[in-house]
Amino acid sequence: MAKELTQKAAWDMVLAKLKKNSLWMLHYCTGCGAIELPPTMTARYDMERFGIMPMVTPRQADILLITGYLSVKTLKRVILIYEQMQAPKYVVGFGSCTINGGMYWDSYSTIKSLDQYLPVEMYLAGCMPRPEAIISGFTWLIDRVGKGEANSWRDYYENYEFYRKNQEELFGGPVQSYQDIPADAQRFGILEAHE
Amino acid sequence: MSTLSLVVWIIAYPVIIFCIGVLLGGYERKFSARVERRIGPSWIQPFYDVIKLMNKKTNVSHGYMHDVAILMLLGGTLLTLYFVPVPGFSYFSQFGDFLVISYLLLIPSLGMALGVGETANPNGSIGISRALQMLAGYEVPFILTFIGVAMKEQTTSMLDIINIQQAGGFMAWGLIAHPLLGVAALIALQGMLNEKPFEVIVAPHEIATGPMTEMGGKYLGIMFIQHLIALPLELTIYINLFLGGATNWLEYLVKLFVVWTALISVNLVFGRFRIDSAVKFMWKISLPLAALGVIGIMLNIA
Repeated sequence: MAKELTQKAAWDMVLAKLKKNSLWMLHYCTGCGAIELPPTMTARYDMERFGIMPMVTPRQADILLITGYLSVKTLKRVILIYEQMQAPKYVVGFGSCTINGGMYWDSYSTIKSLDQYLPVEMYLAGCMPRPEAIISGFTWLIDRVGKGEANSWRDYYENYEFYRKNQEELFGGPVQSYQDIPADAQRFGILEAHE
Repeated sequence: MSTLSLVVWIIAYPVIIFCIGVLLGGYERKFSARVERRIGPSWIQPFYDVIKLMNKKTNVSHGYMHDVAILMLLGGTLLTLYFVPVPGFSYFSQFGDFLVISYLLLIPSLGMALGVGETANPNGSIGISRALQMLAGYEVPFILTFIGVAMKEQTTSMLDIINIQQAGGFMAWGLIAHPLLGVAALIALQGMLNEKPFEVIVAPHEIATGPMTEMGGKYLGIMFIQHLIALPLELTIYINLFLGGATNWLEYLVKLFVVWTALISVNLVFGRFRIDSAVKFMWKISLPLAALGVIGIMLNIA
């Protein structure tokens, strides 16, 4: 092993193996893709066997699932929700609309690429992705969490200016926010822990 | 009981009960999944959930009372736990009868009310008001069954009641000897454990999990731990009063799982009552049953 295995690193590895078994999901269902979620959760495909459960409030959730297109107005709400979530948190872009605009590629009121505004951990391509694709994507995410590689959420703390600048350019003014992200990064030692 | 073994028991007891709670919680989720023809999560899924929640990187506090009350929630449950006898450990039960237990059972609800009050979330406030209304619903029949059992056995000590039932054999079990009280307490227990049809406090589709709305990370983790300890605790109180307690851990576990299966089976086939219907059900069905049972005991019928 190239890196020296400290006690903390070993402990983190064990924790990651345990933590990957429990991922709670908050779905932000604006688009049509939400229709693929009920079969994924219920008897046919049963998402709960991986420990993935739907949760109802941002404070409790680990995954923010954006199903489909985001208009400029709804993006403001998504940013509020994302900032309320407790780290580690993973944004999953669901469907083509979050990747490049999809069928709304020439619309004036939707955003084209979600990763300009929020740190996206994983995209599920397709219009719309079938439950098999969702399950396959989530098992990939679970593997990454288990290896401790799912670190996109740190990006929001580290490159906060980049995301805020993009958001403000899009909205044409300051972003309404109730969470002081740089202060949180200091308080919980997120920036130091990564070095 | 020697001092050393007492100290070991004091430390080990909550841990053992927590492990049993994890099994019961996992069993509930697996059981529901199988009924719905799903595969369901792992048997120790609640353990993974707790580990995940306690290791969140950020934890937002809403103020001093939020921090303190969440510990009051857990502390109240742990304190109650020590007064409830289980096979092998009943040292503290000789100092507190079930009047003490019925007082201590109120502490977690009050702790939750104080802590959630500070988060200032409307869903949380609705959840708390529902929790306190349900408390008025199930606590009255539950206390009445306590009184009935105490009148029948002429003692308020939980240990003595277990001994009387075990000496008298199967026919002396509370559920057989005074069935009205047993059934009334079972209905109250369903409400106490917040299972459907009385699942009005944590109603995810209605008020976004009520008291837990603003809880995240370690705060939610402590609430989960409290729930996983309170679950076997409240089932144990029922077993001790109405199912003859237990002489060894195997018998104890079997009785826990039997009662729990009965409760979650009811949970699975019902929808959710509205809060007024839930309290009405408690006062119109459970309370008269308990009252009839007490009258029967006073007239030496049952």
